[in-house]
Amino acid sequence: MVKKKGRVNIHIDMTPMVDVTMLLLTFFMLTTHFRPPSEAEVILPSSHSAFKLPESDVMTVTITKDNRIFLGLDSQYIRARLFGEENKLKQGIEVDKEALANLLIQARIINPKLRTVIKGDKAAPYGPVEDVMNILQKVKITRFSLVTDLERS
Amino acid sequence: MAGVDVPQPKADKGKGKKVKRQARLGVRIDLTPMVDVVMLLITFFMLTTVFNTPQTMEINIPPDEAKVEVAESALLTLRILTDGAIYWNMGIETPEKVEFKALRPFLEERLKSNPKLITLVKVEREATFEIMVNIMDELNLAKITRFSTAPFTEVDKRVIAKAISA
Repeated sequence: MVKKKGRVNIHIDMTPMVDVTMLLLTFFMLTTHFRPPSEAEVILPSSHSAFKLPESDVMTVTITKDNRIFLGLDSQYIRARLFGEENKLKQGIEVDKEALANLLIQARIINPKLRTVIKGDKAAPYGPVEDVMNILQKVKITRFSLVTDLERS
Repeated sequence: MAGVDVPQPKADKGKGKKVKRQARLGVRIDLTPMVDVVMLLITFFMLTTVFNTPQTMEINIPPDEAKVEVAESALLTLRILTDGAIYWNMGIETPEKVEFKALRPFLEERLKSNPKLITLVKVEREATFEIMVNIMDELNLAKITRFSTAPFTEVDKRVIAKAISA
């Protein structure tokens, strides 16, 4: 008669597992950057374009659906120089259409490598976008990008 | 739940025998709860990481001064109205409507019949930004990478009104 086996006491060494999970954890912790709280909520339109938005040296002109224009810069230093020390922690500052040209020029003087992107809300009217594009043309920023989402189709 | 082998206290301590030097303790710590916690953290970070950075559509505009004369026969004008309706015309012909879905094949066919095609896009100011991006996307997909934009003027409004009534 085969004797029924009793419960076998298994001891699994968890140390390698912990090693691997810790590595993964560090990786994810370091690669995560939390989405910075933006001043204005914008729903992006979608396109088939496959260019990625650059991570740094970006100057963002945000146009919300209620026609407000925000200028955002990714460097605290430039923000402090342009908008004053008290505003340097804000992601974007609401600006007038008239003041925009001047601010764009000043920002580009501080950092000539800045790339300009226009982040328009899906539902924003085309009018202000056209105005912003005209301003860009006037201040000789002839190369800029429109931020979009990837179209899923 | 750490299984620690606690050495048994020697009962015969101090009975003249030499106290034996304690050997290395065999400590076995159960790491399962630690793995649990770490796994939870990993899941959290994996889910919160944003891998899809937004895409961009690059646009080059000519400097302010540049003025280019184009032949009227090669000029395709697209007028986009507030409600998203698209009207096209060559040169100074009467505009005709084209559906958004049919736009890409239409543009490809136009480009094939005239490779020197110059496209001019006029978007009404009240139209949404999304429509404009969609149109530009279609132009890019139809391999029309060079196009110009122009303001939608009163003249355009009249032209379109005439085309609709005709």
